[in-house]
Amino acid sequence: MKLSVCIKQVPDVSAPISIKDGTLSQDSDRMVLDAYSASAVEEALVLTEKHGGEVQVVLVGPEKAKETIRKALAMGAASGVHIQVDDISGLDSSAFAEILAAWHKKSEYDAILTGKQSQDTDAGLTGGMLAWSLELPFAANAVGLEFENGSFIVKRQGDSGQEMVELKAPCLITCSNDMNDPRIPSLKGIMQSKRKPVETVTPADLGVDIASLSSDSKTERTGFKEVPGREPGKKFEGEAEEMVSNLMNLLENEAKVL
Amino acid sequence: MSIETLAPPTLGFDLSQDQQLIKESIRDFVEQRVAPTVMERDESCEFPHDIVSELADMNMLGIYHDEKYGGAGFDTVSFAIVLEEIARWDASLALTVASHTSLCSAHIALAGNEEQKMKYLSQLTTGEKLGAWALTEPGSGSDASNMKTTAVRDGDNWILNGAKIFITQGSVGGIFVVLAVTDREQGAKGVTAFILEEGMKGFSHGPKLKKLGMNSSDTCEIYMEDVVVPAENQLGELGHGFIDTMKILDGGRIGIGSIAVGIARGAFEESKKYAMERSQFGRPIGQNQAIQWKIVDMGVNIDAARLLVQRAAWLKDNDRPYTKEASMAKLFSSEMCTQACLEAIQIHGGYGYTKEYHVERFLRDAKLLEIGEGTSEVQRMVLARQLIK
Repeated sequence: MKLSVCIKQVPDVSAPISIKDGTLSQDSDRMVLDAYSASAVEEALVLTEKHGGEVQVVLVGPEKAKETIRKALAMGAASGVHIQVDDISGLDSSAFAEILAAWHKKSEYDAILTGKQSQDTDAGLTGGMLAWSLELPFAANAVGLEFENGSFIVKRQGDSGQEMVELKAPCLITCSNDMNDPRIPSLKGIMQSKRKPVETVTPADLGVDIASLSSDSKTERTGFKEVPGREPGKKFEGEAEEMVSNLMNLLENEAKVL
Repeated sequence: MSIETLAPPTLGFDLSQDQQLIKESIRDFVEQRVAPTVMERDESCEFPHDIVSELADMNMLGIYHDEKYGGAGFDTVSFAIVLEEIARWDASLALTVASHTSLCSAHIALAGNEEQKMKYLSQLTTGEKLGAWALTEPGSGSDASNMKTTAVRDGDNWILNGAKIFITQGSVGGIFVVLAVTDREQGAKGVTAFILEEGMKGFSHGPKLKKLGMNSSDTCEIYMEDVVVPAENQLGELGHGFIDTMKILDGGRIGIGSIAVGIARGAFEESKKYAMERSQFGRPIGQNQAIQWKIVDMGVNIDAARLLVQRAAWLKDNDRPYTKEASMAKLFSSEMCTQACLEAIQIHGGYGYTKEYHVERFLRDAKLLEIGEGTSEVQRMVLARQLIK
């Protein structure tokens, strides 16, 4: 079984961020493996440990993102593919899906696993768009995954409950971070990760024009705003009768819930 | 001259990708597995066999030892990083890892022959056995020439008699490095190291010592009554025990310095958090300059200490002399750590004096670091010899 896991490098959620004049500023030194991607890697490792095969991780990002590939290799993935894009700030979900689709059209796999979203934008679109591009059977928000008789049995979390979906290989599954606890790399894993192969390719190698992907982006980011602080609640004072009367008036005329 | 022929830069502060990954791994492990239960262990004084075994699975018990003997093959800087991360939450556990790795295992790695390394070091690096290192006696600490434990040659064996005190992993250890006098006339040059194993006839330990802090680290006395130790368990050359011990203590001091940086970072982070949560007179106390200056001083001192510790570790990794630097790192870090913990309690006020918060434990744990592996006074003696010539 060959599983391809699309992973992403994201800013450390505990690193401070600030917004100035509509622009987001964050500590670009503190970048980590996206938690949803980590769950996808873990699930892929568990499946291959059980059924044999190997896990390859694929990442789109700048040179610095190689450290995140190494983290996935230290967890146990066998090899990595680094699709090097120095500036990913102009790429939206659709652009990521297009680049990843170009790579996967040239490679072999039984299943592609991705996070159901990533911690930076939480858009949650790339997995579905990639499945559409590659015309693959698709299940989103997986919380469990098994492999039986050439098919992947996905337990997915829906709004009102869980459902079981059978997908014939090859297919694409997006993983929830509730799926598992991603393993922490051991020192030997870190040591071995240095000896594992990482192939670096450019979008041009895959026939993707990165400049037009950025300029023809389907989404336009207009700016960032701070989440407004909560306004303080209203405090009533006076006699009980007066307070109830005030409250009823506000519920009826201001909140209009009565 | 082309640029390639210029000497490479020799001063840099970036961690390597390996060191960064190690830091992330141990931090995740400590936050998930160690931090949630640290208060319970401080109260129960129980040794955390389960957590130590998980650390072994992550190869954290032989960080800088050779891969040939089961070690992870990383460097001393990585070791310092790991100890800081563990000590951030649980200094007792960090002390266990430090003494196991940089005292017992390091002595066998330094002075052991191939057979001894294959047999003993391999069991230590994989965590199959825990290691203890026995130098201090009830009547002699840093003045090792007053050592009373003796080893007398008897055919193919040595017969050991004596007692050692304050032995970390004294009751949970499986492999012990014990220093003993083999020739009283020779003074410090008449001390030799031996490898002892738990279960040898006449080799026993006392009850766990009740201490101010470092409660879940295992500390006790060990006793040797006519213990028959095979001659092949002599560690290093005859009469070289004390010379090797000095080298081991240099390395040990990097470990103690790292633990001090870790505890102080805990004091700093907990204080910062509390100062922003605790409001008095209508605003967080962290907005008062009196509190801000305390936190700022902690931050500056922690950085200074970490730089001293990592410099000593870097020198050791590059096979350069580091006695002076390790001693400076240990002295400065341990004293600044106690001060940081005192200030952390002050910032926490009455709550800081209770066991509801971590900072009182930090202070109790910190004090040991000014004492163990050479007191601050001994460090100043060592440094006086180095600095005033």
